[in-house]
Amino acid sequence: MAAVGFFTDTTICIGCKACEVACKEWNQLPDDGLRFTGMSYDNTAALGASTWRHVSFIERPVPLTGQETGLGDFSWLLQSDVCKHCHRAGCLEACPTGAIIRTEFDSVYVQPDICNGCGYCVVSCPFGVIDRREDDGRAWKCTLCYDRLKGGMEPACAKACPTDSIQFGDLDELKDRARGRLERLHRHGVTEAYLYGADAAGQPGTEGLNAFFLLLDKPEVYNLPPDPVAPAMEAKPAWTSMAFAVLGMAAAAVGAVLMGRES
Amino acid sequence: MTFVWRDLPSHSFSEDEPTYYERPVLKEPVWIWAVPLYFYAGGTAGAAAVLAATAQALAGDELHGLVRTCRWVAAVGGAAGSALLIRDLGRPERFLHMLRVIRPTSAMSLGSWVLAGAASATMGSALLSDHGGLPGRLGHFAGSLAGLLGMPLAGYTAVLLGNTAVPVWKATRRSLPHLFIGSAVSGAASLFGLLPVDLSPREVRIVERFGMMGKVADLAAMTVVEHEADRIEPVGRPLREGISGALWTAARVLTGASLALSLLSGRSRAKRAAGGLLGTAGALALRFAIFHAGKASARDPRATFRQQRQPREAEANPQR
Ligand code: SF4
Repeated sequence: MAAVGFFTDTTICIGCKACEVACKEWNQLPDDGLRFTGMSYDNTAALGASTWRHVSFIERPVPLTGQETGLGDFSWLLQSDVCKHCHRAGCLEACPTGAIIRTEFDSVYVQPDICNGCGYCVVSCPFGVIDRREDDGRAWKCTLCYDRLKGGMEPACAKACPTDSIQFGDLDELKDRARGRLERLHRHGVTEAYLYGADAAGQPGTEGLNAFFLLLDKPEVYNLPPDPVAPAMEAKPAWTSMAFAVLGMAAAAVGAVLMGRES
Repeated sequence: MTFVWRDLPSHSFSEDEPTYYERPVLKEPVWIWAVPLYFYAGGTAGAAAVLAATAQALAGDELHGLVRTCRWVAAVGGAAGSALLIRDLGRPERFLHMLRVIRPTSAMSLGSWVLAGAASATMGSALLSDHGGLPGRLGHFAGSLAGLLGMPLAGYTAVLLGNTAVPVWKATRRSLPHLFIGSAVSGAASLFGLLPVDLSPREVRIVERFGMMGKVADLAAMTVVEHEADRIEPVGRPLREGISGALWTAARVLTGASLALSLLSGRSRAKRAAGGLLGTAGALALRFAIFHAGKASARDPRATFRQQRQPREAEANPQR
């Protein structure tokens, strides 16, 4: 199987949340309760154990290139966020049970029958995606609709997206399409557009994302980390430090026993 | 129109340092109190197992009482630690899944294997080494094995925290192992002051020296950890403010007081007990301080953003 993924083009997202709804329905996810956040039209707030697509609503006091509003400087940014199915996935590399695996579609999948809810993936995802469900005790996140892929269908969110802001397909093809789109936007003067996580060069800490984005402002604006790193990539200095520290402890024990002899 | 808008969240939008409505980027650790308590139990068990194996190897016959006590401390620590970790799982009945695979990239996977081995070895050595003949020899062998496994047991938890996306843990991943080892030694030695066991003067001396080295290392490492965390302002903040900051200060004061007490002359029972109490409280406070600092750090989007921006800007090569 070739690698598949998502290209989320935020420039054409209209904030309809069809992806959120389709995801909840298809995956039979529990609701998150009804509450108002006061954050624009975003009452979902964040990705989580039972929210695998989340549309961010950003109200900026900054105009978009080439856009004029009657309200002075103002623009909307909308983005449908999702698990990135990282090439170097922090969650997968942290999982001690082998519950989190890389599938034949190159997606990152949590096997619910294996997960024992240790919670280590939760702190190891640099995007704050995966979380443990309280009532259930296990970790959950986007499966890239593994069951639908098995049946030859595209993920529910991509299927439901009315503007094709969420595009699903062969990863290489998506990247070509994304580069084409970026070029066109730049040509039309939207020079602030850029691709987030499309390849290892742009995001060495994850070696690229299988779900990447076209964005119009800093990653922070969308609550995305500017330079995420899979924690295991930086593990060496910690283990080296530990080796020195434990040798120190052994030396202290020897010293204490020998020193205890005199006096 | 403007006055209606003034209080809307969108007006908090900052172009220089944007966040998404101040929402955290990361998920807060889902771990409960059992985890920092395990850090303490595992650290104590590891340090005790190391001291037991060393004493056995260098002067086993003369230090019989010390070796025996250490082995029991390690065995109880290992068993209690395992129980605490199982208690923390979302699905405790699946704890054996921890031994389904070995994943070198996961400190928790390696740590689970170390804990499984160390808990068995410490329990074996405590139960068997009082016997003669083959069981006794097996017990001593288990004791040596426990000494070897006790080293990573006391230290891997620091690596486990350092290898996460949580800013304050990630920033201190080099110094945290030294802190945890120092605190493990200090905690184990302090516990001896509280146990109703009769040790010879020589054994008391050994424990005291061991503890003093641990406390000095602990206090020194605290300063280094602070320094590492403070390189980026919001990353170090949880060590100064809030519950975690208070616990951090408490740990320093308690451990410092315990060290000061052991520097005073005299080896009375009461003095040892007081020092032990202070040291134990200090070791516990330290683990809870680090734990809560991580929770606070994960909640702070600026800590995450600046930690990732700063090195990049230092390279004067911002991608965007
Ligand atoms: S975004 Fe997080 S949860 Fe998704 S694959 Fe990457 S590390 Fe895992």
